[in-house]
Amino acid sequence: MIPDDRDELDALAGEYVLGLLEPEARREVAAALSDHETLRRAVAFWENRLHPLSRFAPPAEPPPEAWTKIAGRLQLHAQRSKMPLWWNEAAPWRWATAGFAALAAALLIFVALPSRLSTYMAVLQAPSNAKAGFVATGGPLRLIVREMAGVAPPPNRSFEVWAIFPNVPRPQALGVMPAGGVLRVNTLPTVAYVGATLAVSVEPVGGSPTGLPTGPVVFSGPVRTM
Amino acid sequence: MPHETEMRRRAGDASVAELSSAATLLEAVGRGSRLSLKRLYELESRRLYGIALKIVRRSDLAADVLQDAFLQVWRNAKQYSPERGSAEAWLTGIVRFRAIDTVRKLAREVPTGDPALGDAPVEPDVIERLSADADAEALKHCLTLLEKEQQKTIMFAFVEGLSHSEIAARLSAPLGTVKSWARRGLLSLRKCLAP
Repeated sequence: MIPDDRDELDALAGEYVLGLLEPEARREVAAALSDHETLRRAVAFWENRLHPLSRFAPPAEPPPEAWTKIAGRLQLHAQRSKMPLWWNEAAPWRWATAGFAALAAALLIFVALPSRLSTYMAVLQAPSNAKAGFVATGGPLRLIVREMAGVAPPPNRSFEVWAIFPNVPRPQALGVMPAGGVLRVNTLPTVAYVGATLAVSVEPVGGSPTGLPTGPVVFSGPVRTM
Repeated sequence: MPHETEMRRRAGDASVAELSSAATLLEAVGRGSRLSLKRLYELESRRLYGIALKIVRRSDLAADVLQDAFLQVWRNAKQYSPERGSAEAWLTGIVRFRAIDTVRKLAREVPTGDPALGDAPVEPDVIERLSADADAEALKHCLTLLEKEQQKTIMFAFVEGLSHSEIAARLSAPLGTVKSWARRGLLSLRKCLAP
């Protein structure tokens, strides 16, 4: 609760700026800031008026690699945020779809070869343009889902992989795609993946908070015997 | 820097060389200029790294704080507007919160006693060192009107990022007392700074 009383509100804003609030109270203030003009002004007041105290921390030289790391992470963000631009362009994909299908097939052979235990596979395609985004291969003990080159989730989102079984009411979460683009799932020999559908949805970073897909399904495909 | 050329090509970067204040740079960052972010880093990183170091007291953690803070600046620069105050204070706020989050997540390290790592505790007697401009003069004046313990509580929290209980331990005072020093100190400061 953000207090109406002016003194209470000023004290709360001051404690917030000082970093004295407990996590819950701090989140509450942070969440209220966007809609609460008085609170926002009170926080700005303290940030600015207390700021001279920051001079008690003497400046120091950060490690030289600090900027390189920031620039590297920015580059990553930039590549990801470029996604939607060409993502939504239909024309390039009309001619590219066939190429991608061929590429997917080639890649499949490549990824399937190393493991003789692979008995089933799936190519996950975008529903709109059939662009292949993921390839999954699996056997009795393991299912491996690989992200194809050039595929990335929108900024500050993760891809999460799901299995939809014909007789199971809800999608089963297989896991969140890790940064390397390869998800390995240990499977039970008794679970029949052939006939199921694999799907990839866009979720908050770290995966769906609910255990069910919350964002759009961007790729999906049926699991077939190899 | 391999990204430099690409950055220079971006529209809107042409005039960056002439920009120098943190506020102007921050506004350019808000419009998507990565070169401005780099200049802002060149301008502010030593100051902000020092602030982080004073709170987290470990150079590796302070470097992480600095990196995360600048990425946050990149994402949130649009939220800054000159009407809400100085760009430096806004940047300080981001770095302090990141640094405080870091130390609260880890159990706070025992100070090594190395002043180079920001381990020398801040004593409010050094309030005397605050001056040089009107804002600092006003704050200095108003802080000296507070009870000594209220002063210390506010200083320790702002500069070193100490929690209520850490301040209680340092001043050998009950937690409730420290909480009331903070609140009453803030309210007196408020009245003095903006009567």
